[in-house]
Amino acid sequence: MVLTLNTASAVISFVTRSEEETAKFYEQLAAKYPKGTDAFLAFSKENRKNKVTVERAYYGVISDALEACFSFKEGLDPATYSVEAGLPDGATYADALTAAIEKERRIQKMYLESAKLSEGLMADVTRSFKVMARKREDRLAKLNALLLAA
Amino acid sequence: MERLRERLSNRPEFEIAMSILEEPWKGIQVVKNYIGGEWVDSKGERVDIVNPANQRVIGTCPISTKDEIDAAVAAAQEAFPSWRETTPLARVRCLFRMKEILEERFEEVSRVQTMEHGKTIDESRGETRRGIENVEVATGIPTLMMGYNLEDIAEGIDEYTINQPLGVFGIIGPFNFPFMIPLWFAPYAVATGNTVVIKPSSEDPVTQIKIAEIADEAGFPPGVWNVVNGGRTVVNGMLEHPDIKGICFVGSTPTAKEVIYPGCGKTGKRVIAQAGAKCHVVVMPDADLARTIPSCMTSFFGNAGQRCLAGSVLVVCGEGLSDPEYESFYRKVVDAYVGAASKIRVGYGLDETVQMGPLRDKGKKEKMLEYIQKGIDQGADLALDGRKVRLVDDLPHDAFLNPTVFKDVAPDMYIGREELFGPITSIMRTRNLNATVELLNDNRFGNADAIFTSNGKWAREFQYRVRSGNIGINVGIVAPMAFFPFSGMKDSFFGVLHGQGKEAIRFFTESKVVIQRWF
Repeated sequence: MVLTLNTASAVISFVTRSEEETAKFYEQLAAKYPKGTDAFLAFSKENRKNKVTVERAYYGVISDALEACFSFKEGLDPATYSVEAGLPDGATYADALTAAIEKERRIQKMYLESAKLSEGLMADVTRSFKVMARKREDRLAKLNALLLAA
Repeated sequence: MERLRERLSNRPEFEIAMSILEEPWKGIQVVKNYIGGEWVDSKGERVDIVNPANQRVIGTCPISTKDEIDAAVAAAQEAFPSWRETTPLARVRCLFRMKEILEERFEEVSRVQTMEHGKTIDESRGETRRGIENVEVATGIPTLMMGYNLEDIAEGIDEYTINQPLGVFGIIGPFNFPFMIPLWFAPYAVATGNTVVIKPSSEDPVTQIKIAEIADEAGFPPGVWNVVNGGRTVVNGMLEHPDIKGICFVGSTPTAKEVIYPGCGKTGKRVIAQAGAKCHVVVMPDADLARTIPSCMTSFFGNAGQRCLAGSVLVVCGEGLSDPEYESFYRKVVDAYVGAASKIRVGYGLDETVQMGPLRDKGKKEKMLEYIQKGIDQGADLALDGRKVRLVDDLPHDAFLNPTVFKDVAPDMYIGREELFGPITSIMRTRNLNATVELLNDNRFGNADAIFTSNGKWAREFQYRVRSGNIGINVGIVAPMAFFPFSGMKDSFFGVLHGQGKEAIRFFTESKVVIQRWF
């Protein structure tokens, strides 16, 4: 049986953990590739800010009267959207950027899916998911620019 | 819990999801009373506090004596004169601090609720948020408590009102919302200059102990905020005590109607007695079923059905449909409802993927089993049998009951007319809106009723005609926000003013009128 995340609490824990894992990933990149240190540290900082934003949206409006436990329908499949902090040994700067782009695309999909699943839930939470997905557009553009320049 | 984490950690998905939260304490909590700013041991006997999900004893609660409730009232009475003379601004500064500490300890107090009550972590956090909202509203007392005036009611004469606190209030909380319900009252009581003695349910008292710790840290002077644990002796002690000016009670209808309301009448106390319920959720033919069904799951199965706003009867109304159309619509609603209910994940609420927790205790489950049998005996059709317990993990079944659904329930059947307070749904048919309104109004309870429809005229008629204190229109749980009264009618409420918001402020203050003329 596939364990899907079907409650607000489970989804929020998962997406905030993804932000934290991604923040760690960029810290590793910053330490390993001096060429991109500033950009990677800025991404890492923004990931931690994203985590707080999503948590704040959830904790600010969670109510026993809304469908926190029942609105995620079939649920979010964590296996599809998992991101890990690790980077393969011997990865070049370009490899690292390619891996980052892949992670960001996955996170963007995760937020879009979460936003769709949570439409019956507290609107603030859905909105914060959509904002996070939009932010990824900007992040992807920056990463692609770095890759082109690499 | 450790065993559960260990077992789940072998599941690959768990590596990713990490969905089991830590319990907020290990071992046994020995609950004390909080009287006059001190933590005091009780001389009364102790009862176990049992985590309903795993049946582990997690604490003991004292059944306090008459002397102990008297001591708490004396401390509250002693604190009253100087507290009422404290400026409203200074009083609400304690509430602002309390709010800040509650936010800091938000997760801890939420997990405490799940651990001692059984509700899911989402539900506990929702309860915490709604409790805090009452603290926030009460911080507006410097404005909300103001009286009013009119110059020149006669030549040279002015008239005005002032709102004054009364003294000590007793607050008797139920087991089903151990955090939120005492906060429907206490913040308003103390903000208006009164003092309080709170008696939490002895089944899950740790939550209120945490709040008392926070009140202490927030700087309320000794005696303003008191907690006395126990049972009937404490309740009777409050009812009989001449220094208690009013009682706020939330619990069953027999206790509200036969004990609290007459008890307060005898001793001239103010009273808010919120009682039992039998809430109906009406599905009209034009309802958006994709949104209605999840909302119904929360309404009927949230908190394992243990709330006075829980849906209990799902009424499928056939207004405007031909007979064959109505049959088809009824089947569609029943199938969607039973399908969704059968998928609900039941287990320990600290597992974030669990959607419904256990009942508060084994005794409550046994009552539910009796009700299910009554439903079968009286001829209702059992469409989903929750007695076949299916949990997400290997936990003792003692207090667990899966969602249970009866269809074709008649209004005179026990399960269709009385409060059950558990995860049991009765589905009824009504042929039109008029018959629906009559069905609802014939029920002796009037706490909350809801309608799901896209038709404004039907919604308006429902709102206008249904005799119920809280009406939901496309909202399954009609829980008023802190700035609105938590209403109730018929056998669901005894008193005049309700908890929360402006009505609570009226309840906790006495209006004094001054007419002045200067020679």
